[in-house]
Amino acid sequence: MSNIIETEGLSKQYGNIYRVKDVDLKVPEGAIYGFLGPNGAGKSTTLKMILGLAKPTEGEIAVFGKRVNSKNRLENLKNVGSLIESPSYYGHLTGEENLRIFQTLRGVPKQNITEVLKIVRLENQQSKKVSQYSLGMKQRLGLASALLGYPRLLILDEPTNGLDPAGIQEMRELIQSLPQKFGMTVVVSSHLLSEIDQLATRVGIIREGELVYQDSLTKLHQYSKQHLAVRTMNNEVTKSFLSQNGVAWEAEDDYLIIPQMKDTMMAEISKALGQNNIGLVRIEERKKSLEDIFLELTGTAVSL
Amino acid sequence: MSAAIGMEVLKTKGRKIWLVVAVMMAVQLLWAGWAISNKDANDLAQGWLFFLYQFPMLNCIIMPVIAAVVASRLSDVEHKGQTFKLLETIIPAQRIFAAKFIWGSIYMLGAALGQLAIMIGMGFVLHFGGPVPWSALAGYLFFTLVVSLTIYIFQQGVSMLVANQMVPMTLGLVGGFIGLFSMFFPQGLQKLILWSYYGVLMQVGMNWDEATRATDFYWTAIDWSGLGLILVFFVLIYGIGRILFVRKEV
Repeated sequence: MSNIIETEGLSKQYGNIYRVKDVDLKVPEGAIYGFLGPNGAGKSTTLKMILGLAKPTEGEIAVFGKRVNSKNRLENLKNVGSLIESPSYYGHLTGEENLRIFQTLRGVPKQNITEVLKIVRLENQQSKKVSQYSLGMKQRLGLASALLGYPRLLILDEPTNGLDPAGIQEMRELIQSLPQKFGMTVVVSSHLLSEIDQLATRVGIIREGELVYQDSLTKLHQYSKQHLAVRTMNNEVTKSFLSQNGVAWEAEDDYLIIPQMKDTMMAEISKALGQNNIGLVRIEERKKSLEDIFLELTGTAVSL
Repeated sequence: MSAAIGMEVLKTKGRKIWLVVAVMMAVQLLWAGWAISNKDANDLAQGWLFFLYQFPMLNCIIMPVIAAVVASRLSDVEHKGQTFKLLETIIPAQRIFAAKFIWGSIYMLGAALGQLAIMIGMGFVLHFGGPVPWSALAGYLFFTLVVSLTIYIFQQGVSMLVANQMVPMTLGLVGGFIGLFSMFFPQGLQKLILWSYYGVLMQVGMNWDEATRATDFYWTAIDWSGLGLILVFFVLIYGIGRILFVRKEV
């Protein structure tokens, strides 16, 4: 599968601080790429650089296999729709008039306006001034603007920010339907792990400007493999016993965390501990949640 | 480019920008009417000269206000709706800048033509003496436009770069007042101030006899170096404003 976006060593420095550092983003065609990170991690800056709205300090960007420079930027962006941070709109104009402005400037057929209004379910609100729209409606109008040219690539930065649960659900369903319906590749950024978990097929996690994880969501789930937590009457002796027998352990509160193993092996350990007069009082199966992994990767509390 | 200008027109729908121009023209009409109302037949013989002297003076304050308001009204919709970040993914930033300038210029042209209409209208109604000085009136239109568009492009640059529109509005008003008072400044200093060029490019001078308290107007030579300088200012301000806007990260 070819990559629709590829960045190499992408960095952005403001003053002496790197807001984005050596980011090698790889977005495969047809994917819903979840760009995850805490607020201020550098998600918007990275996406703005891809769109040419911010100039990289270092690094290269290739979109559709072509290296982006100031000369071919807009030509490349003809196949890209975007919604960055918050929707762009003219509050004193109607939804339809707003779309007409972007449709005319994009040079795409007028009928696209009607079609995208239907896709985002705003056809009944098109004659209303956008200043009277709710935030959810403005977000959907922003999505409609991004969809106007039926782009091959859609870049959505925090599209559910500020929406109520129903709005989030609706936006999520809309985004999920795009790759199948129109063959679009979608990059969607969020600071909400649960959102990316439900939406994305591939995920990139950014922390303090650095990409700390990038792979399929399935692989991320594999990190949440099960392990065992045991508690004995004498954990200190148990540690030596486990080490002597080649079992890796990690102390956590009153427990020793050991890898998942076959029942027969666990039974043997239990028996050996008993023979050494060490009472085994707890054996628990534990699983690392995605939140734990996110926390480990980003070093910040997860937003749910 | 025509699409970009067309969309500028659509964006101004319901923004009542022409109303601002019309109100300022009404102020100018009232002022002209008041200024000419106490003139006798002898004074009216110099009516054209009187207007061609008074209008540029009044323009020092009227036109900068129009320029500031128009530029601000055309730009604040973009700041409010955070539209630059979307527009700049569709068309080049320099085209956005140019389209706004062209559409804004139409308002400035409208205001200048409005003034010309007031002058000519009143001249005919009040039967000013002598033939209509068409070439001087054309000169007035040209000089007013050159100065006004230079002030406008300055205002547009600031309005597009700064989200808080109080900044360009204040600059516009302060500039207007400086321009008005610059009539009392030495010529060298006058030519460094954008807003004083309505005075620099005036085609009429005035003598005031202290003893008789009589005024006498006369044609003056056009300050071509002044015209050259303001054109240089225009090119510089347009270029700098465009570069800053294009480089600005949104």
